[in-house]
Amino acid sequence: MLKGSTLLLALLFMLPPAWAENWPATQWSTGPAASGPALEALEAYAFAPRNEATRLGIRSDALLVIRDGLLIYERYAGPTSADTPHLTWSISKSLLAAVLGVAYGEGRFQLHDKAVRFLPALRQHPDISLADLLHWASGLDWQEDYEYAPLKSSVVAMLYTRGHGDMATFTAEHPAFSPPGQVFRYSSGDSNLLSAALKGMLGAQRYADYPWQALFEPLGITHAVWESDATGTFVGSSYAYLTARDLARVGLLMLRDGRWGERQLLPRDWVEFSRTPFAGYQANQDELVPGGHWWLNRAVGGAPSPWPDAPADTFAALGHWGQALYVIPSAGLVIVRYADDRDGSYSHNELLKLAQEAFARQVQP
Amino acid sequence: MSRRPWGVRHPFVSLLLLALLALFGWGWSERVALRAFPDILSAYSAKEYCSCRYVMHNAAEYCEGYVQQYLPLKSLHDDAEHKRVSASGLGRSHSAVWLSERQGCRLEP
Repeated sequence: MLKGSTLLLALLFMLPPAWAENWPATQWSTGPAASGPALEALEAYAFAPRNEATRLGIRSDALLVIRDGLLIYERYAGPTSADTPHLTWSISKSLLAAVLGVAYGEGRFQLHDKAVRFLPALRQHPDISLADLLHWASGLDWQEDYEYAPLKSSVVAMLYTRGHGDMATFTAEHPAFSPPGQVFRYSSGDSNLLSAALKGMLGAQRYADYPWQALFEPLGITHAVWESDATGTFVGSSYAYLTARDLARVGLLMLRDGRWGERQLLPRDWVEFSRTPFAGYQANQDELVPGGHWWLNRAVGGAPSPWPDAPADTFAALGHWGQALYVIPSAGLVIVRYADDRDGSYSHNELLKLAQEAFARQVQP
Repeated sequence: MSRRPWGVRHPFVSLLLLALLALFGWGWSERVALRAFPDILSAYSAKEYCSCRYVMHNAAEYCEGYVQQYLPLKSLHDDAEHKRVSASGLGRSHSAVWLSERQGCRLEP
């Protein structure tokens, strides 16, 4: 008996105490800097010389690494600096999910609620639930191509031509190709339906400050920009801007299961939902496996993990032209990468492979 | 003796007419997208230049390159005093304006 409790006591002392957890204050605290051939290999990959004329190849604007809550690496290139609120493109979708998580914690909605309850524009599609939208499974006949099929692209029409005044209504006017909740089809329209549904939950006045009040300010993020359409709906699909250091705060929030210091900002079951693969996803439909508006490096349907050199618990928020927020809980890593990649040279898997070699935890002697 | 049908006597003209008919049919079915298509270039350029310049605070020269597409713009005008960016191309013009620190830029109607 005595032996057992002594052992338990000894085990308790071996656990890192809660106060030893590192959190950023107004700035990140820095940890031991990496060096050596592994770091050189990473930099040679991520920061190859840029050609502004051809714009070919890997063109990182920023690379920032947090390990166990400490800033251990940061480098900028091109026009970007530590103070640049960089366009995140579709990382905005995962930020929107985090904002919705706060609203969920306030009891403003349930995942199975029909979106039409908060967004009357969806009356033609009354069965779409908020969970379906979070899974990009509305069943709406949306075409996401950006550059290669601009005529047919729903997203180009939404952002720049027929839809830009009211993106949610533009999306809601699409016909259905499948019943909701069954088929994954990546859709910026689904994200903007969520953004407009949040406005319906809060009212326009409350909504206009909500991302700052609910998410950015509690995390100490001071310079976030989120552009909206003419109806005041945040372009949840595309137009949030954060510095690399600030985006990493969202990564740390997700790494620590929605907790920021003492405060459980996102309910644990919300984070769990964010990181659970959508059951209707077929292997290889996209770069990674969709969760609740986050991307998961999970093996599904007999296919291997999409990024074989990254741990299976890796998850990410990803955006056009190489924007990425990677979270690797098992390694304590949060990695932000901003870029201006205009071709397909860049490989997430390769970067994560090199980053793990450069930034693995030191084994205690 | 009955004459052969017109289409058999003029195979190339018939095929051309058929192709034109198909093209017209496609154009009709895509008429909404086709009418909006020339707007993309100037709307994209105005909006993304505005955000590049006034949200991300990049240099004007960099932002010109940043929005450059394969199709050239006719003009790109940056009214720095009002933070308003106008672009013209493919016969259409659009402008975007910076609204505030939090709201960034928005394409005008």
